[in-house]
Amino acid sequence: MHDKTVRRRRAVLGLLVVLSLLLLTAYFGEAPNGRLHSVQRDFLAIVSPIQDGANKALKPVRDLFGWFGATLHAKSQRNELLKQVDRLRQQLVADEAEKRTSHQLLALFHLDQLGINDYHPVTATVFGKSPNIWYQTVNIDKGEADGVRVNDPVINDEGLVGRVTAVVADGAQVDLITDSSMGVSARIGSSQATGLLQPKVGDPGDLSLRYLAASAPANVGENVVTSGTVSSEESLYPPGLLIGQVTSVNEETGFKSVNVHPFANLQDLDVVQVLTAGAGTRPANLSRVAASLPSAQSSGAAGEQLASTQVGE
Amino acid sequence: MTETVSGTLALRLAAFAVFVVFFQIGVVSEVPVFGVNADISSLLVAFVGLMCGSTVGAACGFAVGLLVDLALLQTLGLTSLVFTLVGYWCGRLREIRDPQGALTPLLVGAGASAIALVGYSLMEFMLGVDAPVSFELLRQIVLGVVVNTIVALPMWALTRRALEGALPEDPRRRRRRRSYTTGGLSPLIKP
Repeated sequence: MHDKTVRRRRAVLGLLVVLSLLLLTAYFGEAPNGRLHSVQRDFLAIVSPIQDGANKALKPVRDLFGWFGATLHAKSQRNELLKQVDRLRQQLVADEAEKRTSHQLLALFHLDQLGINDYHPVTATVFGKSPNIWYQTVNIDKGEADGVRVNDPVINDEGLVGRVTAVVADGAQVDLITDSSMGVSARIGSSQATGLLQPKVGDPGDLSLRYLAASAPANVGENVVTSGTVSSEESLYPPGLLIGQVTSVNEETGFKSVNVHPFANLQDLDVVQVLTAGAGTRPANLSRVAASLPSAQSSGAAGEQLASTQVGE
Repeated sequence: MTETVSGTLALRLAAFAVFVVFFQIGVVSEVPVFGVNADISSLLVAFVGLMCGSTVGAACGFAVGLLVDLALLQTLGLTSLVFTLVGYWCGRLREIRDPQGALTPLLVGAGASAIALVGYSLMEFMLGVDAPVSFELLRQIVLGVVVNTIVALPMWALTRRALEGALPEDPRRRRRRRSYTTGGLSPLIKP
C-alpha cells in the first residue's frame, strides 16, 4: 500500500514536470502566431472582461493599500522635490529667451500644431500586472476593437510607459519600458546624440541609455526623450515623448551611458493612452521634418517643448 | 500517507485559486511594498501543499502556474514548473515532518518564496535572458522573500478558512485524536 502511494506520488510529480517542460519547449519552438501563443491570446480575450470587472470592483482595496504606501513615500519625495523646484526655477529663467526663439522656429515648420491628438490616442484602464521581476507587463482593457495594434506606443500623463506586444478584441498586453525585452531609441533633451534606452534588469526603477557618443554632453537632471528615429528610419515611438531624467553618467570604453529614472510611475499605473496612429501617418512624417531641423534649432528647449506638448495634452 | 481529494475540496480549491490569481494580478501586483510586489500565488501553492500533501500541492502548483502564465502571456510552462516543485516540496514537508508550530506558515512561506524566486531566476537565465547577476537582482529576491514572509500568516489563515471542512485530514485534529486514544492526555481518565 505504502509503495503504491509512493509510486503514485512520484508518477504525478514526474508527469507534471514533464508536462511543464513539454509546454516550455513547444512554446519556445513555435512562432509568435503559433498554437500555444494563440491559446494564450484566446484565454486573455476570455478573461480580460472578467479581469476588467474584477479590477473595477477591487479598486477601493488597491487604493487603500496604495494610500499607505504613497503616504510613506511622500515624505521622502517632498524634500527632493523642493530642491528640484529650486533648480528648475533657475533653469526656467535661463530658458525663457531660448524658448521664444524655438516657438518661432516651430511655427515656421508648422510643428506647433503637433499634439498628442494627432496620434489618435485611445485611453485605456490597466487591469492586470505581472508580479514577476522578469516580466514588466500590464494588461489594458482596450484592444483591436478600439484600433489598438501590436507595437503601438503607450504613454500616460507623466511620460512613455511602453508598447503594445499582444492584442485581442477587448484587451491588450503592454510591455513596460522596464521590461527586459524593451529597447527605445532616445536622446538627452539638450543633445542630438541618440542612444538605446534599455532597462536595468532587476531594478524596476532604473533605465540605462547606452551607446551615446563619448563626446555627447550629458548632465545629471537632464530630461531624456524619444528620438523618433532609429538609424535614419522612423522609430516605433514618436519623437519628443518624455521618458525620464538622468540620474548618473558613466564613462565606458568608446561610448558613454547614463542611468535614467523614468518619469512614469510604472508601479502604480491606472490609466494610460495608446497612440494608435502608426508609422507613416502624418505625425510620424512630421518627425522627419523635426529630425531635419538644424541641431541648434531643434535641440534643447525646442525639443523639450515638443515633448511636453505631446505628453501634456 | 494516502491523499484523497473530495469533489468539495477540488471545487473549493479551484475557485480559491482563480480568485487568488486574479487578486494577485489585479491588486497585489499593483501595490509595491519596499519596491517589490508580494506574490500570494506562490504562497497559495505552498500552503495547499502543506495542508493537502505533495500530490495535491504539485497538481495545484501546476494549475496555478498555468493560469498565471496564460493570464499574463508569459512563457508557458515556466511558472507551472516552478510552482509544481514548490507545491510538492511543501507537501513532502507535511508528510515527513508534519510541522505544528505557530511559525510554520511563516517559515514555509519564506522558503517557498525563496525557491520560487530563485528557481524562476535560474530558469530565466537558462532560457537565455541577457541579464547580469547584479546586486539589485539579489536585493529584489531578498526583499521579495521578506514581503512574502510578512503576508504569509494572513494568507495561511485565508487559505485555511477557504478550505476548512473539505481538507482530507487535519494534522492537528489527527494529533489530538491520537493523544486522546492513547489515554495520556484524556480528561476522562482520573489518576
